[in-house]
Amino acid sequence: MAQQTLDAFQVIADPSRREMLYLLSKKSLTINSLAENFDMSRPAVSKHIKILNVAGFITIQDIGRERHCMLKQDGFNELQEWINFFDKFWLSKFKKLEILLQQKSIK
Amino acid sequence: MQKTIKHQFFFPNPPEVVWEYLTKAELIEQWLMPNDFQLILGYDFRFVVKPMPSLDLDGIAYCKILEIVPFRKLTYSWKAGPGEGKISLDSIVEWTFVPKDNGTELQLVHSGFKEIENFNIYTAMDNGWVKQVGIINSLLIK
Repeated sequence: MAQQTLDAFQVIADPSRREMLYLLSKKSLTINSLAENFDMSRPAVSKHIKILNVAGFITIQDIGRERHCMLKQDGFNELQEWINFFDKFWLSKFKKLEILLQQKSIK
Repeated sequence: MQKTIKHQFFFPNPPEVVWEYLTKAELIEQWLMPNDFQLILGYDFRFVVKPMPSLDLDGIAYCKILEIVPFRKLTYSWKAGPGEGKISLDSIVEWTFVPKDNGTELQLVHSGFKEIENFNIYTAMDNGWVKQVGIINSLLIK
């Protein structure tokens, strides 16, 4: 399915999904109470929730007859991985430059 | 969540020499990546590396020179994505050259990871002060 190929950045690129995560950062909400905050059809809300769930940003728990959404760390970790990658990337490049310049200063 | 990458390195060479290694295409390639860099304000250039599928990047960085202060500062944008013109990483690379008695301190700030900056929700969960920033951000992105 399409949403399984979405990366973390695509998931949060959507303003409605960012808003959903923002609301959930304050407290966990049922799908119904989350949907009340958005001027969109219920199936549209469900679609976004499904994407957030598949991408690991939220988890859904059935409590009684209600479905509760709460934040989950996995999706956020993927965002952090990107930064970590560039952090290491620059460090390794700096070391190369250091060797080059050391050679130059010896000459 | 960390949103800015900062590094600083000391080189036993004057700023003019270090500057060359950051502003001449053939010298940049020796330590960084193949590129078509030209030291012209507003110039569009590219870095080409191998694709990084785990990060969903096709290996091309699309850059534009934003600031040139000879031997002191160099700033360019750094955009990348999965290909077909899609940009998922939109960031800024800023080099500062600080002259020292016996060399140069080179500072790097890689920032402006816009999707992450727009997205302070996770940090908002972390502590109260950052939470305020998260609220401001969420207002700004509306």
